[in-house]
Amino acid sequence: MVQLTIDNIHIQAEEGTTVMEAARSVGIEIPSMCYLKGHGNHPSCMVCLVKNMKSGQITTSCALPVADGMEVSTTEQEVLEARKDALELLMSDHVGDCEAPCSIGCPANMNIPLMNRLIAAKKFDESLKVVKETIALPHILGYICPAPCEKACRRTQVDQAVSICLLKRFVAVESNWFAIPTIKNSKKVAIIGSGPSGLAAAYYLLKYGYPCVLFDKNEKAGGTLRYSIPDEELPKEVIDSEVEIIRQMGAEFRFNVTITKEAFESDIRNRFDAIIIATGDVMLENQLMDLFKTTKTGIEIEDGTMATSEPGIFACGSVLRTQKMAVRAVAQGKAAAESAHLFLQNKPLIKPSRKFNSRFDKLLRDEFPEYLKESVLNSRFTPNDGYLAGFSTDEAVKEAMRCMHCDCRKIDNCKLRQYSDQYKVDRKKYLIGERKFMTKHFNHEMLVYEPEKCIKCGLCIDITLLEKELVGLTFVGRGFDVRMDASLGATLFEALSHTAKKCVEACPTGALAMKGA
Amino acid sequence: MSREITDKVDGLIRQIGTAADKVIPILQAIQNEFNYLPEEALRYVCEKTDITQSSIHGIATFYSQFRLKPVGKHIIKVCVGTACHVKGAGLVYDAFRRTLNLTDGDNTDEEMLFTLEKVACLGCCTLAPVVQIDDVTFGHVGIEQTPDILLEFLNKKTTGDFAKFSTPKLNVESQGEIRIGLGSCCVASGSEAVKNELEKTLAQSNINVTVKHVGCVGICNQVPILEIHKPGEQPSFYTKIKPQEVRDVIKQHFKPRGSLDQIKTGVFNFFDSLVTENLPRSFNRYDLDQTHTPVFEFLDGQMSIATEFRGELKPSDIAEYKIKEGFEALRKCLQEYSPNEIIAIIKQSGLRGRGGAGFPSATKWQLVHEAKSEIKYVICNGDEGDPGAFMDRMLLESYPYRILEGLIIAAFAVGATEGIFYIRAEYPLAVKRINEALAICRHEGLLGQNILGSSFSFNVTVFEGAGAFVCGEETALIASMEGKRGLPTMRPPYPAEKGLWGKPTLINNVETLSLVSWIIRHGAEAFQKIGTENSKGTKVFALAGKVNRGGLIEVPMGITIRTIVEQIGGGIPNGKKFKAIQIGGPSGGCIPASLADIPIDYSSFKESGGMMGSGGLIVLDETDCMVDIAKYFLSFTQNQSCGRCTFCRIGTTRMLELLTKISDGKGTIEDLTLLEELGEKTKLGSMCGLGKSAPNPVLSTIRYFRDEYLAHIDGSCPTGKCKNLIKYSITDDCIGCTMCAQRCPSEAIEAKPYELHWVDNEKCIKCDICKQICPTHAVITT
Repeated sequence: MVQLTIDNIHIQAEEGTTVMEAARSVGIEIPSMCYLKGHGNHPSCMVCLVKNMKSGQITTSCALPVADGMEVSTTEQEVLEARKDALELLMSDHVGDCEAPCSIGCPANMNIPLMNRLIAAKKFDESLKVVKETIALPHILGYICPAPCEKACRRTQVDQAVSICLLKRFVAVESNWFAIPTIKNSKKVAIIGSGPSGLAAAYYLLKYGYPCVLFDKNEKAGGTLRYSIPDEELPKEVIDSEVEIIRQMGAEFRFNVTITKEAFESDIRNRFDAIIIATGDVMLENQLMDLFKTTKTGIEIEDGTMATSEPGIFACGSVLRTQKMAVRAVAQGKAAAESAHLFLQNKPLIKPSRKFNSRFDKLLRDEFPEYLKESVLNSRFTPNDGYLAGFSTDEAVKEAMRCMHCDCRKIDNCKLRQYSDQYKVDRKKYLIGERKFMTKHFNHEMLVYEPEKCIKCGLCIDITLLEKELVGLTFVGRGFDVRMDASLGATLFEALSHTAKKCVEACPTGALAMKGA
Repeated sequence: MSREITDKVDGLIRQIGTAADKVIPILQAIQNEFNYLPEEALRYVCEKTDITQSSIHGIATFYSQFRLKPVGKHIIKVCVGTACHVKGAGLVYDAFRRTLNLTDGDNTDEEMLFTLEKVACLGCCTLAPVVQIDDVTFGHVGIEQTPDILLEFLNKKTTGDFAKFSTPKLNVESQGEIRIGLGSCCVASGSEAVKNELEKTLAQSNINVTVKHVGCVGICNQVPILEIHKPGEQPSFYTKIKPQEVRDVIKQHFKPRGSLDQIKTGVFNFFDSLVTENLPRSFNRYDLDQTHTPVFEFLDGQMSIATEFRGELKPSDIAEYKIKEGFEALRKCLQEYSPNEIIAIIKQSGLRGRGGAGFPSATKWQLVHEAKSEIKYVICNGDEGDPGAFMDRMLLESYPYRILEGLIIAAFAVGATEGIFYIRAEYPLAVKRINEALAICRHEGLLGQNILGSSFSFNVTVFEGAGAFVCGEETALIASMEGKRGLPTMRPPYPAEKGLWGKPTLINNVETLSLVSWIIRHGAEAFQKIGTENSKGTKVFALAGKVNRGGLIEVPMGITIRTIVEQIGGGIPNGKKFKAIQIGGPSGGCIPASLADIPIDYSSFKESGGMMGSGGLIVLDETDCMVDIAKYFLSFTQNQSCGRCTFCRIGTTRMLELLTKISDGKGTIEDLTLLEELGEKTKLGSMCGLGKSAPNPVLSTIRYFRDEYLAHIDGSCPTGKCKNLIKYSITDDCIGCTMCAQRCPSEAIEAKPYELHWVDNEKCIKCDICKQICPTHAVITT
C-alpha cells in the first residue's frame, strides 16, 4: 500500500493506482474526458490536471501512478485555471451547437428541434409535451409570437426559416395533451391577474398540484391577449380554449375583482401560502405597487427568481416592465411558478441560469449540404388555407422535416459541455483563426459522426482495437489536423461492426452519437 | 489486386517479417519500391501479416516520410532549415510553386515531372538557401533562378553530367595523401565533383597519391576542402575549391611518375594553362602553421572530443580507428572496470545528456543498472530533427565506431543485452556507415558473444525513424520502435524502469555516447576540468546564419557566445550588426547580442530564456525580424506536434494564429498579452518536452525584442521581412532597363524602356525578384 495525501486528506492506495482513482476513492472528483478504465496511459484532454505540491509541477492525474509520500492538490487556483484553459482551448476547436440557435433565441428556451422532430415523426402528444415544458400557452403564442426563434434558425441561410411558430400552434391544436397534476398539495396560491404570465404561472403551479385561484378585474381571462389584440390576429376562441385547459387542470377564476391594497393585506395574504402578482401593465393605476420595492418601470424583483421584496410573493409579466413579447411574459410566469414551488417546499430559491452553450458563427455555403443531410430540400410551406387556419397535418409534418437538427445529440451527457459550464468557460477566448469546416457523417446505420466536435481523446479507437474490430478506427494525420476515421477509406459501418454503442457511450462529446436521439 | 504489387509486397514481407511491430520497416520498403504507398499494397500487407488496417493507416499518415500519393519523377527539396529560412528559403519555395504552376494543396506538377517538398535541413547551411533535386544540390539559389535551375537540371540529367559516386582506387606506394571530406554537407557543396575531378586528374597524370575520403571536416563554410599531406611537409589546405581548379593544385604538389608521363602531363598542362591561367580563382591555399587564416581561426578555440581526429579518420576504417586508440576504452571497461566503476567515472566526469535537457547521464545509467530484468535495452537516439542542426548526423557519418564504442560501454555498464541505433531514414549515409561499422565489429568480435573474450555479450541493430520530430522524445521514440504512432506517454514510468517492450531501457543521444570513450581513456578528471561548474566537457554546435564562417564546431563549455560568433565564426558578414543568436532550435530561444558574454552553460541559457537544445546555433543580424524568427520556429513545432494533448495540439496552433495576426499587422496589444499568457499555459500544461518548450522561441523574443512586436502591432516591420507589412517601390536610380518588369510574375511592373518604373502594389505578390535582380538597387521596400 502507498500513502499519499490529496487535498490534505490521507489516502492509502494500492500500488499501480492512479492519482485520479485514489482521489475518487475519497470522493474527490477530478474532471476527465479522455480517461476510461483499462485504456492505457495516454492523457490527451488535459482537464484532469492536478498539482504535485512537492515538485510544484502541474500534471495530469489520470495516468499518474500514486507514490509514497506524494502530496497532491486538486483545488489550487493554478490547477483550476489550467483546467479552464484546457477547456477553452478545446472549445476553440469544437465546432457545433449544443442547443440549437432557435432554442437559444427563444425567450422561453423551448426545445424547438425536438418539437419539430416529434411532429415529423407524427408523435403529436409527445411533441406538445415538449412544448409545454416551457410554453404554457402554445396555441395563443402560435398566433402572436414574433418568433425570435425563426430569426435565429440556421435554415434561413439555406432558404427560409422553419415555420416554428406555426408548427407550435399546429401541435397545440392537433393534440390536447396537458400535464395532469399527480399529487395534491394543501398549500394554496393566489395569482393576481390572468394575462399571459398569470395563466402560465397557473399552469405550472397546477402541474405541481397546488390549488390556484386567479383574480382578474375583467369578466374574462386573458388580459391584454383578450383586450388589446384584435380578433383577426388572435381569435377569441383560441384564448377561450387555452383558458379552458387551465380551468380543467383545476384553476379557480374570480372575475370582476379588483384587488385593493387593503384586500390584499387583510385577505389574500392570510388566505394564501404564496402569491403571484401578474396584474399587467403598471402604467395603469395599480394600488398594489405601493406594497413592494419598485423600479422606474414596475415592481422590483430578484433577477431570475422573480421574488419581490416580500417573502412568498413573486411577480411576473408587464407589472415588472411593459412586455412587448407575450412569450417573455409566459416564460416569466413559469419562472415565478418554479420559485413559488420552491418557496412552498421551504427550499432556497434557485436563479435559473442558462447552461453553457457551444455556438458558432454562420454556416458556410459549402456546409449547407452537410446540414441538409438531416433534412429535406423543400422550401418553407405556407398553410394552404391561409395563415389563420394554420397547417394541415400533412403540411406540418413536411414543414417539420425541414428542421436541420442543429442541436447536439449529446446535449445532456456531453462532458465538454458539463465542464465548460462548471468552469465558466469563455468559449471565445481562443477563437482567433478560421474555424474548421463542419461535416456530418451518416455512413453507419446506428450513429452519426461529427468530426468537428471530436476532442481527439482516442477512446473509440482504443475500443475498436481492444474489441478486435477487423477494420476499426484510426487516427489519420498528425498534430492539429489529426482526425479520427475508419481505416483505409472504409465506412464507419464497416469499421464499427459490433462496437458502435460502446464507442458512442465512451465518446465524451457529441462527435459520436446514436442516430435516434 | 495487381500482380506486380502482390509479388513485390510478398518479397518485402519475406525479408522483413510479419510481426505487428514491423509496420514501419515494411512501409519504408514499400515506399522505396513504389516511391509512394499504394493503398492496395497496404491492404495486402494487412492480409499477409499481423499488422491491422487501423495501425498501418495511422502510421502511414503520422510520419512525414510516408506519401500516400504518387510523386513526380524528380523530387525538389527546398531546404527550410533555419539558416536557409533567414536567407529567404520561403520565397524560393514560393518561386518554385509558381514556376511549376502548382495549385493549392498540390505538390506535383501536371506532367508528374517534379514534386516539390520542404525539408527541415539539408545540412548545407553555409550554402543557404539550398535546393536539392534528386541527388543534385543547388546552393545560394536566387528566387529568379528557379526556371533556369529546373532547365539546367533536366538538360544535365539527359547528358549525364552529374557524376555519380564511385569507389576510389587505393594505392600502396603513395607519394602522399589527399584528403577530401565526403560528409553529406561536403557532398552537397560539390565535393563529389571535386573528388571525381581529382581521381580523373590523378589517373590521367599517373600520380600515385592516396585519396582519402574523410568524414565531416566541420569547416562547412570553406568546403569543398582539399587537404594535401606529403611526407616531411606541412599539410596544405585548399578551401572552396572547384573541380576545374583541381588540376592546378595537383600540379603544384605532385610530379607524375616516369619522365614520359611528366613530359606528357607538362605539355598537356601547358596548353591547359593557356586556357585557364587567367580565370579568376575561387579557392585559397593555406598552410597549417599559418595563423590569421580562416581555417586556423575557425579551429582555434575549438576542442575535439566528440570530433576527435576530425578530418583525419576515414569513417569506415576500423584499423585506423584502432590505431588512434579506438576500442581502447571498451577493452579497459571490459577487462579492468566493473559496471559500477564505469558509472562512477561517468558520474565524476559530470557528463550530462547532449540531446537537449541535460539530464545527468550517470543517473540514467545507474537507474537502468539497478533495474532488475533479464532483458535490458540501450538505444542511441539519432532522431535529430531540429531544422537548423546536423550534429548527430555528422557524428554518425564520421565517427561510427566512436559512437558504437560508447554504446557498447553503456550497455556493459547497465547490463543491457541488446542495442539499437535509432536513426532518421532521412540520413541515408549515417544509416549506411553505422551498418557497415556494425558488420565489421561483429566480424571482429567487438559485438556478439563474449566481446573481446569477456563474458559480456551484446548485439546491435539499426532502426530507421520515419520522420517525426516528436520521436526525439524518449517515450515517443519507443512507441515508434514498437510499431506505433510516435506518441509520447506520460512519465513515470520512465524508460529506465519500463521502456522498450516494457523492459528497462537506456536512451542516450548520439553526442553523449560519442564522448564516453574519451572520458574512459583520459579519466573523469580530464573531462571534468573542461567547462563550468555544472556543465562539463564540450558541446558540438551547428553554427550557421549570418556569420562569416559557419560549420560544425566543438567547443568547451563555458566559452562565450561572443567568442563563438566573432572568433570562430569570424563575425557578421557584409558589415551588418550582430543582433542575436537563436540557440536550441524550436525548443530554444533567442539570446540578444547584449548578452553575448554569457558562457555556454545549461543553467545560464535557461536563465536567459534559451535552452542548450541539441546544438543548433543560428546567428542573426540587424536585418532579421524577430517576430518572423519566432513564427518560423513555432510553425515548425506546431507542424510537428503529435496532436495528442490539448495544450500542444491547439495551444501551439492558437499561438501561431496570434503570431500571424501580429506579423500581418493586424494584431493588437491584447493579442500580444494573450500570446504571452497562452505561451506560459502551453509550457505549463503540455505533456511532453515538445509542447513544454515550443513557446520558448516566442516568449524569449517577446522578452528581449518587445519593441519589434509593438512595431508590428503599429503596422510596420522594422526589418522589412514580414510580407504583409511591406510595399515595394522604385527609386529614381531606375535606369529603365525593364529587367524587373520582364521577370515580375504578377504583372505588377509595366515595362517602359528608359523610363522610371513603378510597382503596382495591388498586384504585387512580394516575391522579391525585382529587388534581387535590379542592377542599380533601385527597388526598395518600405
